[in-house]
Amino acid sequence: MSLGRQLFFLLGLAFLPAIGQAIYFRNATTQEPPMDSALVSVAQAEGWGEKALWVDARPDEQFAAGHVSGALQLNEDRWDELLHPMLGAWSPEKKVVVYCSRLTCHASHEVAERLRKEAGLTNVYVLDGGWEEWQKQHK
Amino acid sequence: MAEAAQITTEATAARAWPKVVRRILAFVAGAIFVYAGVIKVFDPLRFASDITNYQILPWAVAVRLAFFLPWLELWCGLALIFYRLFRGAVVLMVAMMLVFIGASIIAKLRGIDVSCGCFGSASSNLSFTSHLVLDFSLLAVLLIFWFWRSPAIR
Repeated sequence: MSLGRQLFFLLGLAFLPAIGQAIYFRNATTQEPPMDSALVSVAQAEGWGEKALWVDARPDEQFAAGHVSGALQLNEDRWDELLHPMLGAWSPEKKVVVYCSRLTCHASHEVAERLRKEAGLTNVYVLDGGWEEWQKQHK
Repeated sequence: MAEAAQITTEATAARAWPKVVRRILAFVAGAIFVYAGVIKVFDPLRFASDITNYQILPWAVAVRLAFFLPWLELWCGLALIFYRLFRGAVVLMVAMMLVFIGASIIAKLRGIDVSCGCFGSASSNLSFTSHLVLDFSLLAVLLIFWFWRSPAIR
């Protein structure tokens, strides 16, 4: 079979089930990306004052370049190493606010999810807009 | 006579080795693509969210790609494993790898901490460097397939 026919055949094979999925998830194609239900704005989180436990989910070099004052680092690259100190700073009355670079980054959602599932924490929030939004609010 | 037969057997064995290595490499590379495809087929919205995270494509485009690309990965992976539609699969896989590597590097340069989404939630623990090492290794294997072709490949 010629290369062109092979390409056509493989693309077609992928296209058919993709149409099925597109029909099944038809509402998702018009909606905005699914966001975490526990999103919190910078103003809200800062309003919690001492009760807020800020967690920076960005990579090490970005954390070193600048972070929210008092934030603890907890990223997935060094999860096992960083989780313990973070849990040491946590107490039941604290509200954990996880952030990453910006609105669309994923790290904060991943870390928040793992804190809920693996560490069993309940008051875990994701900072809407992340570090970028925090910086805007503090210019 | 016996000596000639032995030389022929050795020559055949020597010729068979590259073929065996190629089949093993094809199986491993194919299995990686099948795994990556299957994981995303079951969670296309998460994959769409990962694509959006690169801040290159809008959600409406990302979600449509998320329906299509996992299946393409799956079929291309199977093509490699079963040695059918091999050249077409290699071309498509190289194209996917180049686009993905390019997008990852651009995202990194723009300071976006992306979750690559290559293997769904299973890849969230991989660092950017690990992703790139895996991607370039796969790309190298695919390019080897392209330039080291066997007449038997269909």
